[in-house]
Formats: sequence, structure tokens, C-alpha cells
Amino acid sequence: MKALGSIGKSIKRSEDKRFLTGQGKYVDDINLPNQVYAAFLRSPYAHAIINRIDTSGALGSPGVSLVVTGTDWLKENYGPLPCTSRINTFVGGEKMKVPPRHCLAIDRVRFVGEIVAMVVAETKPSALHAVELIEVDYEELEVVTDPEEALKPGAPQIWDDIPNNLCLDFELGDRIKTAAAFDSAHYIISRKIKNNRVAGVPIEPRGAIANYDDDTKRLTLFNSSQNIHENRDAYAIDVLKIEKEKLHHVAPDIGGGFGVKNGTYPEPPLILHAAKKLCRPVKWVADRSESFLSDTQGRGQVSTVSLALTKEGKFLGLRVETVGNLGAYCGTIGPFTPTAGTARTQGGPYGFASIYYYAKVVFTNTAIMAPYRGAGRPEAAFQLERIIEETARELDFDPIELRKKNLIQAKTLPLRTAMGLDIDSGNFVEVFDQALSLTDRTGFSARASAATRRGKLYGFAIAPYLECTGGGSKEFAGITVRDDNKIELSVGSHSTGTGHETSFAQLLSGYLGIGVDSIVFFQGDTDRTPFGGGHGGSRGMEVGGSAVYEAASTFIKKGRLLAAYILGVENSRLQFSNGVFFVSGTDKSVTSEDLIAQSAGSEVINGEFGYGYLNVSATFEREIMSIPNGCHACEVEVDPETGGINIVNYWAVDDFGTIVNGMLTDGQVMGAVAQGIGQALMEESVYADSGQLMTGSLIDYALPRAFDVPNIRIQYYEEAPTKKNPLGVKGAGEAGCVAAPHVVFNAIADALRNFNIESLDMPLTSEKIWRTIHRR
Amino acid sequence: MTRVSLEVNGKKTSIDIPDNTLLSTFLREHLNLKGTHIGCDTSQCGACVVIVNGKTVKSCTMLALQAAGSRVETVESLCDDGKLHPMQRAFHEYHALQCGFCTPGMLMTAVALAKKGKEIDELSVRTELEGNLCRCTGYQNIVAAILAGAKKMRTQT
Amino acid sequence: MINFSFQKPTSITDAVTALSKSEDGLFLAGGQTLIPVLKQRLAMPCDIIDLGDINDLKGIVAKKHSVLIGATTTHSEVEASPVVREHIPALAELAGHIGDPHVRNLGTLGGSLANNDPSADYPAAVLGLGATIHTNQRSISSDEFFVGLFQTALDPGEMIVRVEFPIPEKSGYAKFPNPASRYAIVGVFVSSFSGSVRVSVTGAESCVFRQVSFEEALAEHFAIDALTDFAVPSDRFNSDLHASAEYRAQLVRVMACRAIIMIDEEKKQ
Repeated sequence: MKALGSIGKSIKRSEDKRFLTGQGKYVDDINLPNQVYAAFLRSPYAHAIINRIDTSGALGSPGVSLVVTGTDWLKENYGPLPCTSRINTFVGGEKMKVPPRHCLAIDRVRFVGEIVAMVVAETKPSALHAVELIEVDYEELEVVTDPEEALKPGAPQIWDDIPNNLCLDFELGDRIKTAAAFDSAHYIISRKIKNNRVAGVPIEPRGAIANYDDDTKRLTLFNSSQNIHENRDAYAIDVLKIEKEKLHHVAPDIGGGFGVKNGTYPEPPLILHAAKKLCRPVKWVADRSESFLSDTQGRGQVSTVSLALTKEGKFLGLRVETVGNLGAYCGTIGPFTPTAGTARTQGGPYGFASIYYYAKVVFTNTAIMAPYRGAGRPEAAFQLERIIEETARELDFDPIELRKKNLIQAKTLPLRTAMGLDIDSGNFVEVFDQALSLTDRTGFSARASAATRRGKLYGFAIAPYLECTGGGSKEFAGITVRDDNKIELSVGSHSTGTGHETSFAQLLSGYLGIGVDSIVFFQGDTDRTPFGGGHGGSRGMEVGGSAVYEAASTFIKKGRLLAAYILGVENSRLQFSNGVFFVSGTDKSVTSEDLIAQSAGSEVINGEFGYGYLNVSATFEREIMSIPNGCHACEVEVDPETGGINIVNYWAVDDFGTIVNGMLTDGQVMGAVAQGIGQALMEESVYADSGQLMTGSLIDYALPRAFDVPNIRIQYYEEAPTKKNPLGVKGAGEAGCVAAPHVVFNAIADALRNFNIESLDMPLTSEKIWRTIHRR
Repeated sequence: MTRVSLEVNGKKTSIDIPDNTLLSTFLREHLNLKGTHIGCDTSQCGACVVIVNGKTVKSCTMLALQAAGSRVETVESLCDDGKLHPMQRAFHEYHALQCGFCTPGMLMTAVALAKKGKEIDELSVRTELEGNLCRCTGYQNIVAAILAGAKKMRTQT
Repeated sequence: MINFSFQKPTSITDAVTALSKSEDGLFLAGGQTLIPVLKQRLAMPCDIIDLGDINDLKGIVAKKHSVLIGATTTHSEVEASPVVREHIPALAELAGHIGDPHVRNLGTLGGSLANNDPSADYPAAVLGLGATIHTNQRSISSDEFFVGLFQTALDPGEMIVRVEFPIPEKSGYAKFPNPASRYAIVGVFVSSFSGSVRVSVTGAESCVFRQVSFEEALAEHFAIDALTDFAVPSDRFNSDLHASAEYRAQLVRVMACRAIIMIDEEKKQ
């Protein structure tokens, strides 16, 4: 099936109008008649035994209809929120240890912000007021927030039955072969590399409304979720122990996700319980401070990275030993990130004969960790590109040449990497060269000396990256012909701002040769989409778009039979092109639009073919993950007096395979690069030793503002579409987050080439830079 | 409860409200103008920005009673009889929004900035966006849209 | 936010009376600090007395040797004021960098001073220019006004009416903002009046203060090289998530230099 002209065009977004006019519908914009409000008592301690909870004050407070504690919760026989990570590469045969993650703390709290009780009341203020009246007798326990400390003998034990706070240890790659490579190496460079813990901070805080229909005995949950189907299964089957059909899960417009809204949370089951108990809708929307305490956070790894190479600079082996922070519980797929998430793309686009990755995944008295845009690939790319930069620096290799000489050559593709990743397409050398030529290297010295004249230090870095897609491998797409001659397209995954309404409709329009205006898009409703894989792992276009392709193929196959009937010709004589079914050399033809119009209300057609004949339900299942890759570069200016950093130039060449809508793809790159810059320069979720979150509001957690981020020049390499899916797309959503942190860090390292940067870690705050320059 | 009388999007309104009602709550809950969004609780994010007497304010950091007698404009006022405002059109053209949550505050900031009539360039727009956070776009397209939208607004008046 | 009773008097007398009658009342100026405080339930007053309708608290007037600014004048009004721009451009610049544009449209001079946040910008200008704070009861010199962390010389029920800023020969302000809050990690105001120099520092300690050693050095020789390699003792400085005391000490020197550079650049224009 060939696509028509609209694919590849930067079609403007059809969802824009409602957002631009204030008509978007986010969870907080929904109010149901007779609704009540939930508020949560959250633990002020990072680690404590709950001796007693006195809820009498709250229960007696005006407007309060329900108070629920952990003890109440257990009486209902509800189950814990599940961990769905299936990690089966354990060292020494020990299994992953998953402690129960109940929606309420039962007899012990393990992080600041953990829910201790829920209050439901007539108004939000009365619920919040009643929360303050609950008295809890806590017995404080020793706290550990640092994952390396948590592993040490004598560290506070967060789970009685999990020794050393170790959830699992994990390995991937060939340890013995890698050791041999290190033995034969001329040089070995090792560094300890930290990846800072960050908060996702979608601008819309999490929130949900639960409703119960006593007639149908069915629950409805409007929820700011990126992953309605999997969340529904967890809430219904695992927690509430009801059939999944008894929970209708709806995601309205979502104000950004970035992974934060992907996993399960305790609040939705709690308010579902309350809605059922009270037979009234229950609403809860987090304040930003509540989000900082209770949203999942990301990254947070400490690694020892070693690179083995020959005298000439040929890479021989890579060894990465990581300690990953899980927080106090296993998040929905929390253990994935520091294990498989970080392991798979080790080695990047470079030819490594051997790689060994080892991780210890550790509980700490902090909020739960989960995938954050990139989920392991940014960590892996950072580890790799930092060690390469350090190697070049220490051994006096040209960092550009060192990288180029080790890149995988296009002619050796397809290949399987040392980590088992299948690379079918790409041209890493060409992409690198294209990026390099964008950066105007000849003008560098002039720019650098101009900066020097202004008393500034100037640096440059360029680095390739390679990642892989992830998330749910299966996706649904459905087509329904409506009576008004329009067709409904529904897809199981959900846009969090990523423009699915436009790009999926654009695909279908291209395949069927019908106007984008004739397509009505639906998403975010488990009653209208039988299954879906959520929004994560850059899978939207790769898996969702491919499902649309499958739906379009089936539609055309069926349409051909209908066209043959209408035109009175043999099915085999019909051709389809540009939206028209026709018999070559005759004037016999019918367009897709005609077919839709004729089938919509025709009793003859309904009689002959059955009602809703052209309706289609299709599935695409990804077998092998795609490999987005590219090369980013940047130039920075450093103020040696204050340590302040200014990113002057930023260039990106990305190979995302086929580009369906360049405008939307640009948006993904720009936004993800900005998040990468944020991680590199200013973002860090900091816990005090006491377990208190120090960055609990936007007054202390720095997000990039408009003047912190430069204009990015973006170019795509479109010569190497993947064959792993029918569209040839590789995924674009996370690449910027993978590529940016190391390239920004390395450019700063270049600017600081005359100083000792050994102890520098992200975020590269002005004080850290100043200390480096002034050797303090 | 106190009666607050003010003009919102050209319409005079007079409602009894609790004295502690924030302007944002008043707009969202009392007038059902849901375009004004709440993204934080410390006056940082700017998703709630509206225009009061010609000036941008964070409506989550102003009491409705402080605005008594004022002229308030929210994002719902921009569209004229179904026709998008030049700044809205520019945001659409330049793909200056993704999830749309910060967009109303961005638009009101942009419109007020353009109405000041001062010469603006990339740097000044970036500086003027100090009170508006966006997590999706990386700002690049927002800045481009504001420059284009402001230009359009100038040529249309 | 706890509910309260809201009043909006139109005269200073009425406002002061309203406050004295209230069991636990607070004046509300622009609200850019107070409203977040109320939202977080860090204050739970029973009465809020909005000063926004009192004409006597408004306006900017130039006298021969000073500029008088009413307490409820917003930061953006000061930023845009031709009077301030002409006589004390550094003050307009400072006002133009407080918070963000939206905060500046509501936040006021009097509100900022009465709050005396250790990282706020205005206290640096008031102390750095040796301004006088006129209240409904008396006049307080800037050297006496700022007492400590969130503390001023204001008595309970006393209201700032206007601030009188002496017109300096030259003045400048530079700040290094906190990347998250945009408050000053360190801000330094420098002014010169026929040979006498004042240098004030905000953000570094629990309260704005004068950097006397800089004042002496600059009185001798008003140029940045007077401050080169000047060691600023950091033992009383704040150390927090965003900056250590030692780093703040460095920034005090650098921001003082940049304030002076700003003066030089203005001269060139």
C-alpha cells in the first residue's frame, strides 16, 4: 500500500483549536453532578512505624463523608498495585523482590508523601481541613536516601524481608569476553558517572474523578493517564479485584506526561473505592507540591564506566556497573529502567565486540522511581559519551576522530550488537558528518575568540546517540464509517500533547486518499478501544501508526470487494491508487470517499455486505524494536566569574526513519532537547538525609525557562527507513532527551579544558562550574 | 460572602463569592471559564495568566475581590465570533503548543506583550516569558509564534 | 486557604482603623507574597485589608533631591516611570527584574519592604540609596528599617505610605537570580552621592546589609578594579540548596562589579 501526498507534510494540528480557545478538556475541567472531593494525608516522615491513627477528629469535621486508613483498606481485601516488570536476568539466580505496594501505608511509611489516609468531603477545603485533624502516632526509623549507602552493611533496612535493600541484581552481556577485552587493551579509562534524579513535571498535575453507577455496577474513572488499558487492568483486576469490564477508564486531554502518567498510582483506586462506597462521584486533583512528593521520578543512577581501547583508539570493550535507585517500592515498571532500560543500548552506535552491564537495583526512603522520557537510554548514552570524552581528554585523542573511527559502518548492517540489539538500518557515519557540517567548524575559532574577548570560556561538543523504542508492543486501530459520511479512527494509545489526532488522521487520509477533514479521531477510552499499549517508549507512530496502516490495508481490501460490486466488475481487475478504485483503461472508477458515502446509508449494500461492512478493527504488534539514532552538537559559553552557562548553538541531525509530519517531529525534538538541557544544567530532585524532599515546589526545583534554551537547528536523515514496521518509522519522542545531556556536558567540559573536572556531576549548576574553575 | 462585580470578557458580572476566592477559582468554578489553568501552587508556572485592566496577572495569585470593578480578559475572549485571534493563528501555524496546558497563559502573555507596541525580538520575547513555563515545546516555536503573531497584530491595527 | 473577611478601605485612616479593630488582620498590598503564604496556610488571618484603593499610597513624584514613590506603586509602574528612569535609572532596572512580568504588574514597593524577604530586590535599593520610609506614624531611615529575617522596624498596625529615594549621582544594581524562583541568590546595589558611596547586598544573609568594606574602597576609587581580589568574608552568609556561603561571597564581589559596569554602560548611552 502506497501512501499519498499528505504523509510527510507538516500538516497543522486539528486539535489546536480547542486548546487555543480554552476549550481543551483536562481532568480538572470535568465536574460531575453531586461530586465530593478527596484529600490525602501524606506521611511527613521518610521512614516510620505507624503505631496508631486517630481519625475521629476528621470524621466529625463538617462535610466529611468518609475516612479510609490502611487498616480499613486491608479489610476490603484489596490487592497491592502490581509491578509488571519481568526481569529474568539475575545474577546468582536470586529472584526480583517485589514488596507489596498498597494504596495506603499499612503499618509503616517508607517515603515522605506516602499516603496514610484518605478523607472525602463535600468541598475540597473541608477535605483538606479534615486531613489536618487526623492524628497519627509515628515512631521514626533510621532513613536512607542514597542508593549506594542503602547497600552498605548496617544501612537502615526498608523491607524486613529484603536484605541489604537489594531488589535485584542484573546483568547483560558477556562478562568473561569483556574481561578478556580489558586484559588485551592498551588503555583502560574508568570514571564514576552520576545521572541526576529528576522530576518529570508535566505542567498539568495528576488528577482523577471516579464515578459509580449503581444500576450497571460499573465504575468510571476519568484520569490523567498515559496508559489507560494497562492502568485499568491493574486497578480493576489487581487492586479492586473486579472484572476489568467493570471499570471504564477514560483519559481526557492530558497536559503532558513524559512517563509520569504512565504507571499506576494509589489515588485512582482509592477514589474508585470511595465512589462505590458513597455512590457519589469523587474528585481529586493534585497540587503541584503534592505532585513533587508523589509523582514518580526518573534517572538517579550512579555508575562506574570503563572503556578499553587499543593504542590507536579502537574500542575493545565497555563495562558499566550501575547502582539504580528504585525509591521505596517497585513502581509499575520501576525496575526496568536501571536494568534492561539502561542495558540494551549500551555501546551506542559504536562497534564493540564485548560489553558487560551490571546493575544493582536498590530501595531507598524516597518517592517511587519510574521511566522518565528516555527511561534508561539517556543514562546509557550519557555513560558512554562521557567516558569517550574523558578518554579523548586523558589520552589526547581528537574527540571527533575518536568517535568517527569507532562508529559502526553502514555496510556492516544489519547486525546484532553486543547487547543483543538488532540494528537493521541507519548510516551513523553519514549522520555524524552531516551534523558536523552543520556546526560550521571553520567559524568556531572566531566565535571562541569573540567570547574570550568578553571574558568568557567557550566550548564545543558533538556526539552521536543510538536508542531503541519501547513500551507496549501491541496497538489497536479501528475504523468506523458514520452516517454523516465521515469515518471515525480510534487508536488505543493516547496523545499527551503529541498530536495523534493530526498525525494518525494524516496517515489514514494518505492511505485511503480521503480528506483529513473527513476523519474524526477518538482515543483515551477503554469502551471505544479494546486494547492499547499506552504512551511511552517513543512508540506512538511506530506501533500506533503501524496499527493505522493495518487498519487502512484491511479497509482497502474490503473496499475493493465493495467497489467491484458497485462497479459491476471482477474484483481482480480493480486497482487502487490515489484514493480511487478503478479498472485500468476504462472509465470505471469509484473513490474511497464515494465508497464511504454509498455504504453509509445504503440498505442495498447493507443487505449485500452486512451492516457496517467497511468497519475495521486492526492490530499491529511490533516484533523488534526500532533504532532511532542521530548526532547532536552544541556550543556553550561559560562565565568564569559566576560559573553561569549559556548554550549558544545547538544542532541536531536525527534518523527517525520515515518522517510522517516534520512539524510535529520538530516539536518532539525541541521539547526533548529542552528537557535534556534542563537535566544537564539545573534539574535535580534532592532529598535531605532525613528523607525530606528539598525540591518540593517550583521555587526550588528549576525548570528550563524560555531564556535557558537556545533555538535548535534540526535536520533529518531520511535515507534509512526501518523494515521493522510498515511505515519505516523509528520513533522520535525521546531522542532529544537521550542526546542532549551528554552533548551539553561535554561542551562545558571542553570550555573547561584547562581545569580539573573530575568531580563534576549533573546538574552543572553555576556554583559547581565556579568551583571547578577556581579549584574550590 | 461578598458580592463581586467586574467585567469578564466584555460581560458585566456580579456574583456572591467567599471572600477568599482566588481570581482563578472565580473564573474556573464560578464563571465556568475553564481555559485558565492551574499548574502550580507557588505562582511560578503562568498557566493561569489572564489580563486585568490591560495587564497580565497570575490569576492564582490574586483574589477575585482585588479585581472588583476591573476588566478581566481570559483566553476565551481572544476568539472573535469563531475566528481565531492573530496570536492564536500564529500559535497554530508555528506549532507553538503541544499538550495545550500552558497555552492559555502563554497566549495572554503574548497578546499583552504585543499590545505594548514595543519593538520585540527573540531575546526580548524569551525574557518576557520569564513567568511562563512550558514543558513540551522547548519554547522555540512559542517564541517564533509570538514574533509572528505580534507582527500580524501590528499590521492589522 | 482559610476563609477571611475582605475589606477595601479608601483611606489610610480607615485602613488603620480596620486593622486595629481586627483580632488578627493583615494588610494586603499587591499580594504577590501574601497570597501564596495564605494558600499554603502559613498565615491564617481573619481579616484582609486591601490597600489597593487608597490613592494616598499611590504615585511617583520627583522633588529636587529625591524621588517619592507611593507604597502601593507596582514594580511595573516603577520600571516604566519616566521620572524614575530619568533620576534613578538603576531603580527602574531593579524593579524591572523583580519576579516576572505578571508578578511585577501586581507586586508593590511597600509590600516588598514590609515583608523584607532576605532575597528580595527592593530592600537592596532602599538600603543602597539610603532611602527614607515614611509611614502613617513617622519616618524611618533605611539603616534602621531592616531589622532581621522577615523583620522590619514597623510597629504592629503601622503602614508604609511612601518611600523617599535620594537621587544619587550614579547607581547600579546587579543580581544573580536563583534558577528556580528567580529571587536573588545575591543582588548588589551600588550608589554614589558626591563622594559617599553606599553598597547594599541582598540574598546573601538573613537580611539585607551594607558591605562597608566595598563602600570604603569605592569611596577612594569608584571603579571595579577597587574591588578586584577583595575577599568577602562568608561566615554569616546563607548556605542552601542553591548556593553555598562561599559562592555567595564570590557573587557579592562580582555583582558589585557588574553594578558598577552597568553604571558605566548607562553613561555611554
